[in-house]
This record gives sequence, C-alpha cells and structure tokens, in this order.
Amino acid sequence: MENLNQPQATPPDNHLVWAILSTVLCCLPLGIVSIIKSTKVKELWLQGDHAGAQKAANDAKKFAIWAAVAAAIVWVLYIILMVVGIAGGAMGGY
Amino acid sequence: MPVEPWVDTNKTIKLTLLVFGLGGLFLLYYLFNPSQSTFFLSCPIKMVTGYHCPGCGSQRAVYQLLHGHILAAFRLNPLMVLTLPLLVYGLGLTLYNYIFSTSHRISLFYNNAFIFGYFAIAILYWVLRNIPYAPFTFLAPTE
Repeated sequence: MENLNQPQATPPDNHLVWAILSTVLCCLPLGIVSIIKSTKVKELWLQGDHAGAQKAANDAKKFAIWAAVAAAIVWVLYIILMVVGIAGGAMGGY
Repeated sequence: MPVEPWVDTNKTIKLTLLVFGLGGLFLLYYLFNPSQSTFFLSCPIKMVTGYHCPGCGSQRAVYQLLHGHILAAFRLNPLMVLTLPLLVYGLGLTLYNYIFSTSHRISLFYNNAFIFGYFAIAILYWVLRNIPYAPFTFLAPTE
C-alpha cells in the first residue's frame, strides 16, 4: 500500500465521507453519482492524470452538494405540504 | 503557505459557527426524544412510500447513543451505529485538514473494494429491513 500522506503523492480529497453520510441519512440517487466519481479519483491519479483526478474530485463534491440540496428541497416541500395540510384540515373542520 | 487558524478570520468565523451548530444539534438530540416529540421531521421516503430507508431510525438512535444506550440505538438502526465511528473519523480528519491546512487521506476511502462493498451492503440492508418477517424485522426500527 503506498503512503497517501506524502504531499507529492496525495490524491485530491474524493469526499467519500459525504457520500457515506448521504447514504446513511437517506440513500439518494445523486449520492450514488458522487460515489462513482469518488472511485475515479484514485484511478486517474495513479494513471498520472492529475487534472482528471482533480476534476473527478470536484465532481464528487459537486454531486454530494447537489444531493444535500435535493434533500433540503424535498424537506422544505414536505414542511410546506404539512403546513398546508394542517391549515386545510383546520379549515375543513368548520 | 499554511495560515495559522487563529490568524485566519474567515476560518475562525466558520469554526465558531460550526461549534455553535454542533452544540445546538447535541442539545436538540440530547434533550428531546424523537419518538415522543412532534417537531422532529420523519424521513420523507418513509412518509411518501411507507418503506424504511437505510437512514430510518437514525434520529432516535442518536438520542439513545447520547444517553449511552448503545443496544437501543443498535436496535433502531444497526448500519448507522456501525458506520458512525467511520463517519466521525472521516469528518474529524476533514475538519483537521481544514484547520491545519493539511491533506491527510484515509486509504480505506480510496479502496474501490471497500467503496462498492459498503454501498452494496447499504442497498441490501435497504431491501432486507423492509421484509416484514423475522429475522429481518430486527433490521427495521421499532415503533
């Protein structure tokens, strides 16, 4: 196993921890795209394609953020529907 | 040049906000049991489809963990409890790298066998915890 801690040998952060977090907190499709991008980081790095590895790392981060944004949108819609539902239910009661 | 964290104002502000955010979350999940409180939002997937997702039970499990009830937490979401040390390590190292401008990596996170293995287990777990027969019911959170 090569040492990943030496500055010259360090591949870009593949942000896998965020992909795991999004999986454990609700398996999101965008999280899966993030995982696939994460696996590409080291492959490209070992092939010497440092620019490609950096791009894969940036993409992994981007999709992890989008997964979080998508989750946030779903939750906000859900809260709105709950509030409307409660309001509608109260109105219907009379 | 790495900048010392106490000199970098931007970093200090972000870290202060993080400490307050984590402190707030800690108090929220320590003081209120999600099983008994109404203001916790349950998982949207569970609400819409009625199926448990891999994360269902996590909020209640965190409440139990913060009170030292590891078995009760395990009963609510075993995969989350087993993953938690890895998440704490991964997020902790990310924070460490951010504070000290280092770039330490976890070699496990660059191992494709681990990555695909972990996500295969997560998907299998998702399916199995929705089977309404023993022993699979032990993977689903208690009501």
